Amino acid sequence: MTHVGKSEKRVDALGKVTGETQFPGDINMPNQAYMKILFAGRPHASIRRLDSSAAEAMSGVLAVFTAKDVPVNEYGLIMPDQPVLCGPGSAKQYADRVRFIGDQVAVVVAESEAIAAQALERIEVEFEDLPVAQDALESMAEGAVLLHPDRGSNIFCQYRIRKGDVEEAFAQADVMVESEYRTPPQEHAYLQPEAGLGYIDDEGRVTVNVAGQWTHEDQEQIAHALGLPVEQVRVVYSAIGGAFGGREDMSVQIVLALAAWRLHQRGIDRPVKVIWSREESILGHHKRHRYVIRSKWGATKEGKVVAAECEVIQDGGAYAYTSTKVLGNSTLMCTGPYEIPNVKVDAYSVYTNHIPGGAFRGFGGPQGAFAAEGQMNKLAEKLGMDAVEIRLKNVLTEGALLSVGTPLPEGVSIGKVVEECAVRSGWKRSGRGWKKPARKRLGSPEEDHLRRGIGIACAFKNVGFSFGAPEQNTAIIELHGKERIEEAVLRHAAAEVGQGAHTVLAQMAAEALDLPITKIRLVVSDTAVTHDSGSSSASRMTFMAGNAIRGAAESAMEKWHAEERPAVGIYQYRPPPTTPLDPKTGKSEPNFSYGYVAETVSVEVDTETGHVRLLDVICADDVGRAVNPQLVQGQIEGAVVQAAGYALMEDFQEQGGEVRTVRLSTYLIPTVRDIPERVESVILEYPDPIGPWGARGMGEMPYLPLTPAVAAAVRDAVGIWFDTFPLTPERVLNALKESETP
Amino acid sequence: MKSVRPGLPEFDYIRAETIEQVSELLKNGKPSRLLMGGTDVFVQMRDGAFSPAILVDVKHLPGMQSIQKTGNKGLRIGAAVDLNTLAGHPEVVKSFPLLAEAAQSVASYQLRSRATMGGNLCNASPAADTAPAALVLEAILVAQGSNGERRIPAHDFFTGPGQNALQDGEILTSIEIPPPPKGPVGRYLKLGRNAEGDLAIVGVAVLGYADKTSESGFRFRMALSSVAPTPIRVPTAEDILESRTIGDETISAAAQAARKTAKPIDDVRASAGYRSAMVEVHARRALHAVWTALGREA
Ligand SMILES: Cc1cc2nc3c(=O)[nH]c(=O)nc-3n(C[C@H](O)[C@H](O)[C@H](O)COP(=O)(O)OP(=O)(O)OC[C@H]3O[C@@H](n4cnc5c(N)ncnc54)[C@H](O)[C@@H]3O)c2cc1C
Repeated sequence: MTHVGKSEKRVDALGKVTGETQFPGDINMPNQAYMKILFAGRPHASIRRLDSSAAEAMSGVLAVFTAKDVPVNEYGLIMPDQPVLCGPGSAKQYADRVRFIGDQVAVVVAESEAIAAQALERIEVEFEDLPVAQDALESMAEGAVLLHPDRGSNIFCQYRIRKGDVEEAFAQADVMVESEYRTPPQEHAYLQPEAGLGYIDDEGRVTVNVAGQWTHEDQEQIAHALGLPVEQVRVVYSAIGGAFGGREDMSVQIVLALAAWRLHQRGIDRPVKVIWSREESILGHHKRHRYVIRSKWGATKEGKVVAAECEVIQDGGAYAYTSTKVLGNSTLMCTGPYEIPNVKVDAYSVYTNHIPGGAFRGFGGPQGAFAAEGQMNKLAEKLGMDAVEIRLKNVLTEGALLSVGTPLPEGVSIGKVVEECAVRSGWKRSGRGWKKPARKRLGSPEEDHLRRGIGIACAFKNVGFSFGAPEQNTAIIELHGKERIEEAVLRHAAAEVGQGAHTVLAQMAAEALDLPITKIRLVVSDTAVTHDSGSSSASRMTFMAGNAIRGAAESAMEKWHAEERPAVGIYQYRPPPTTPLDPKTGKSEPNFSYGYVAETVSVEVDTETGHVRLLDVICADDVGRAVNPQLVQGQIEGAVVQAAGYALMEDFQEQGGEVRTVRLSTYLIPTVRDIPERVESVILEYPDPIGPWGARGMGEMPYLPLTPAVAAAVRDAVGIWFDTFPLTPERVLNALKESETP
Repeated sequence: MKSVRPGLPEFDYIRAETIEQVSELLKNGKPSRLLMGGTDVFVQMRDGAFSPAILVDVKHLPGMQSIQKTGNKGLRIGAAVDLNTLAGHPEVVKSFPLLAEAAQSVASYQLRSRATMGGNLCNASPAADTAPAALVLEAILVAQGSNGERRIPAHDFFTGPGQNALQDGEILTSIEIPPPPKGPVGRYLKLGRNAEGDLAIVGVAVLGYADKTSESGFRFRMALSSVAPTPIRVPTAEDILESRTIGDETISAAAQAARKTAKPIDDVRASAGYRSAMVEVHARRALHAVWTALGREA
């Protein structure tokens, strides 16, 4: 192979390094107007009265749009439970309510941003505050105030798994571990705050140029809210400054389209531009879900886990976003990559007045893994067994049944991945089984108050959409030339969110067509000229696009040989179908592909200040086939660093609907001096039988095991289990003090 | 020059060339604000803390950006010397490494290329990282106003959160560091939530030197940031260190005294309780570091 497996230079490197690349905020169009959004600013209220006349009367204000101006005032990736604009005047029931502080109430379009900002202050809104739901457990209780009264309950999704008989199995178990895990929200903190332009293009389409993750889904949601046929809406992504799941739901898309469309109807054809500040970004888009996971697991003295019972409660925040899908993952992953004969899971998505929970790298996997790996590590400890040893006794193997009663797709490598990670990290195997490295291998700290420890965790994560969600990816390849192929154009919608998708697309097209990569020209991320690719999420794009590109290349080559000029191949790849969880038993075929990962972490804990410092992280990740090894390494290191922030530092503070961490000076993410001293990426390549050139997805996997591995390492260092994080110095120090007092 | 930036109010920018010009501008009645690196000014303007009609850039006034030796090993630091220059200046590194360390602890390299020591002190944040160093080095803040020069000792300069002892029309022009005592050793320990860029949860500066006239044979000066309404000296700890034989016990007692002196608050960065505990830990660590180095030299 000449292109797949090579660390080709990124196709977007030059533009991004020189600053030539335009992100949505950088783009300006002639005669553009500026938009500002009025946010609710309070967590729960109904809007009694809204008067925008004073704002509209201001000189320089082109228009103010409110709920009454939205043709179909609702949207949502999974279910349309969110008003585009909250307030009176639309047909949507209860759309007059705001349910989190970032709910959008009105948009002002003006000659300048400053005028738009002043006009916001002239909009009179009379709120009647409603009780604020801040806790998912309270919110799911009988009699709680309802966020969406039309739904009758704050529980908006529920799954259950019933496999075997946990009660009976617990009775046989030699050891039991019971814990309650609480996981915190996390902010995506991408470099580029939301921004974009809305305008009517040459062909009369309502067009939005933004940064998102799925052009065609944005297009559909815009069309739905505007009551327009899909063809009359166009979505274009220019460069995207990071996403991590945070751009999977709408932010500025619909309001930009609405403003451009309504102005056009009034005979004003002017592009409309918006740029969110960092504060608006942090308040305005969703967060990683908070979870409470109660787990009770039992094992035999030989170390075989015989039963697992879990209650999984997800704080969905004010609207559904992708919560139900995220919950599906947690439902599956809260019992880890293990074969457990008896499993009982009850999982709930619950509305509260928090900023909505939504997609974020790992998509429910990290929370599930934190609970599962915590349980596994505690069981090992109780049994006096090594953490690797117990995992290898329980990991899923080819043909073994998941908690949902079906086997994993072929190509199960978790056992080999755990072994490889352990060996690289100094574990030794002898006749008596696996043994973790001696303490001295961790090196000795410089001071007495510093303690070191090591921990391990592993995980599995689906590639692609799960549980019966429609899944496909379409590629178009055009071959131009006469005798020889002069140029191959690949038309593809894939969002390049910084992960390197476009580079990998070009590599795979070059490979499939056996052409030099310089002959591939990409036409990307524009609904007008590409077909639906699905989102850049779920670690799916390389896998899905690769298969689509192979098909398109084959078809284009056939036509080329049949002398068609240009030879155009279109191919829609559909993976093996998946099925939803059975409502009673959870039985399902959840996914068509997985990636497997294991990590060890060594830490140093300062027992006087509570600081946890990450020393070495060793990540073994089975990526099936590293299409571009350098990009794979970048994803591993990036995921580890992002997870390090989640585990140790990122402390999103939201109380009574007030967010104290609306900026990057109060919400801290790791700096270059906070990240682990060393991250070793061990790239394993056990091919996925249905992956393109054997590739599996890998963008999320290395994120999952880090936090539970850190928790295990801290336990090893100072003897305390943390079932809640982030492990801020204050939290760690408080626990250390508590453990000292008898 | 009118400047309209999203998020920033409109203002005029004037680059002052002489002190007289500054005095004129400050007197003319329009709300104005002095500007050096702008790393506090612009953030506060964006937050709506104030919206001056005029920003008077004073960093190009004569002498504002130079560092000069004064007689007998003291230094005169122009108020507008940026923190990277300060931290890397050979005389500072040689004679006042504590000051270099404090300057280096502010934010990130990029920010330090604009941020100035004068701005840091005038902004008078309780968390100002160069303030504890200025306190223990017993710096003199030199101000110029229409009535001429005024020399303000650092310990009189900080009057409240965001408030300093400058009078209307006065500007800070330099910071004079008096000649150091003989054989001084200094440390500034800063604790932030991250390793780079965060404001201090606690900052502790310690300067120690041998002095036969004290009972312990040594004198120590200690100052704290971020744990009181202003940066503060800790005389109780200093007294302990001068009157008792220095060793682990005395150091611990002094660290406890520092904890007692501190009056921290809860905020988004840390609770008051954690800050208190950290004052003690970091005071002890800074004292140990200084004491160890003094012992080595003796
Ligand atoms: C991202 C970021 C991180 C930061 N991190 C830190 C940190 O870690 N530690 C820390 O201590 N600070 C930090 N700061 C605050 C700030 O950078 C420092 O206080 C800096 O030293 C201020 O210097 P400046 O030259 O930018 O001051 P300016 O912003 O120009 O001025 C500061 C104040 O002094 C007034 N002023 C300016 N010149 C004069 C003068 N000659 N006479 C009288 N008054 C004057 C101004 O009107 C203003 O009120 C941070 C700021 C930012 C934005």
